[in-house]
Amino acid sequence: MSLSNKIKAIITVAFFNVCGLMSWQAFAASAVPDAAAGKIKAKTCFSCHGENGMGIAPSVPNIAAQPPLALFYQLVQFREDMRKGGDMEKFAKPFSDNDIRDIAAYFSALPAPPAIPGDAAKISIGKQIAQQQYCNSCHAPQFQGQKQVSRLAGQSKDYFITQLRNIRSGARVDMDGTMGSAARGVSDEQMDALAEYAASLP
Amino acid sequence: MQKSSVSLRSLGFSKLLGGLILAGFVSAVHAQAPAPAPAPAAPAGLPPTWAQGRTADGMNPTLVPNPSPLVAKPVSELFVNKLKAPPGFKVELWASGMANARSMTESPSGTLFVGTRFPGNVYAVVNKGDTREVKTILKGLHRPNGVAFANGSLYVAELSRILRYDNIEKNLDNPPAPVVIFDALPKDEPHGWKYMKLSPDGKYLYFQIGTPANIIVPPATHAAIVRLNLQTNILDYVAYGVRNSVGMDFQPGTNELWFTNMGRDWAGEDLPNDTLNKLARTKMNFGYPFCHQGDWLDPELGKGRSCDEFDKPELKLGAHVAPLGMRFYTGKMFPAEYKGNIFIAEYGSWNRTKKVGYQVVRVVLDAKNKPVKLEPFITGWLQGEEYWGRPADVQVLKDGSMLISDGEAGAIYRVSYAK
Repeated sequence: MSLSNKIKAIITVAFFNVCGLMSWQAFAASAVPDAAAGKIKAKTCFSCHGENGMGIAPSVPNIAAQPPLALFYQLVQFREDMRKGGDMEKFAKPFSDNDIRDIAAYFSALPAPPAIPGDAAKISIGKQIAQQQYCNSCHAPQFQGQKQVSRLAGQSKDYFITQLRNIRSGARVDMDGTMGSAARGVSDEQMDALAEYAASLP
Repeated sequence: MQKSSVSLRSLGFSKLLGGLILAGFVSAVHAQAPAPAPAPAAPAGLPPTWAQGRTADGMNPTLVPNPSPLVAKPVSELFVNKLKAPPGFKVELWASGMANARSMTESPSGTLFVGTRFPGNVYAVVNKGDTREVKTILKGLHRPNGVAFANGSLYVAELSRILRYDNIEKNLDNPPAPVVIFDALPKDEPHGWKYMKLSPDGKYLYFQIGTPANIIVPPATHAAIVRLNLQTNILDYVAYGVRNSVGMDFQPGTNELWFTNMGRDWAGEDLPNDTLNKLARTKMNFGYPFCHQGDWLDPELGKGRSCDEFDKPELKLGAHVAPLGMRFYTGKMFPAEYKGNIFIAEYGSWNRTKKVGYQVVRVVLDAKNKPVKLEPFITGWLQGEEYWGRPADVQVLKDGSMLISDGEAGAIYRVSYAK
């Protein structure tokens, strides 16, 4: 930004301040997460989740392109010992709320995980089950996630199945009980098919 | 196919342990199918239990429950100057840094106890002269949304247990281990958190057992308001057909219980209304899941039923406004016309494309004790379609001022009046 543009911007902001017309977005802008700062803070994450947000092993989730709020939500739960697994509760401990927002901003802005090819018949069954179970009503039509609801598209099948089973057993508790209720009616075979389908989505 | 799906359904619904069995039953059928066989197509109009009430064509994927607040907002993000009150009233920040501050109760000596739904904390706000100190006195509880105070003890309602912390005010920094006074409550997570209120005679704790899904025929144990006798430890049911009441108060004078009730979701932008209700006698039935808002039959479960079978609400509050805590105004600070009014904290909508609620409303009763006016009292948490806070409960302090807890921002505001 050139100096004159900067001055213009400052004057514009001042104008709207004075007039009390500042938009809500600008009003709330004090807490805009910083993806660049997030990348620096996320250094400890890279050894397992990769700099590109792709898990290095099937048990490690792909966190690239997750909705930022979904990442924030899970990291806070790890930090507060409300969710456990993969020593994440230890890794999350040092981070402040703002650190977590920055880290979430970094990973959410990364390119989405590539679709993972799988067994076509299984994928088709998984798609059918997903429709019956209304998964997309929260996880969004292409399983891309929204708000605090995680992205499932391109997720590691191994991780997907483990989590869904944990939610079904109650080992992992969701906040309002919806996901627990949803998982209760899903069999192991259905979970496998759902994982195959979710992984296959770009 | 239609016929068999109906019979499947009544089978599932007839089980005490709930609608949730239905989904398990269906999945058991799937599990027994030969491995490579494709899953059978879902019978039309039979979504899994958790999603009952949604239709495939009417489903709007952009509507998802608002995120559950897990952290408190810094003071710099509490836009108290955006809060609007009627002339003469002042709103100020009273306490902050209390993640998901929700239900409030004040002890006779002036300690405010605050329950939470998500972080598992209970807070105490202690007066220190002109300032206040916020203490996190309990941690790691399971949905400790309900708080009440009696005889020096703090009662906390978790999702499925009622706890008592004796002599709490002398031990805020090191609370005693709780006495578990009741632990035989359902463990369903959906609508499992409690709002709890001590009866005026001090003998009972009243709280709700919400329905375990959006819209199902619930087990007979659910969708009710119950009371626990503190002397006998006997639990009895006082109201049925209440989907989920997360706010209640006894009217001074009549000692009748009034309560808010959350209407079902996924039935439309403006239907059904959330309601304000009065328990004129025990065992009243307010209609869920068959009749909503006293006069609107459920599109599916209401078939063959009539709203005449059920008791009516006192007032419709609007659809999806999400009324939580409510109090009768018992103080002397506000102008005379506010005496005996009901104030209700509206947490705000998620299942509606244009947001509503996110405010504290005022209900005026006439001489016959009937609501005659419903109007906004404090607004401003919702700016356009963005909210920065969500009112969760109100509490009238001894000086006549009113506190509003903000479950989203983790803060408490104080409303006072001066001519």
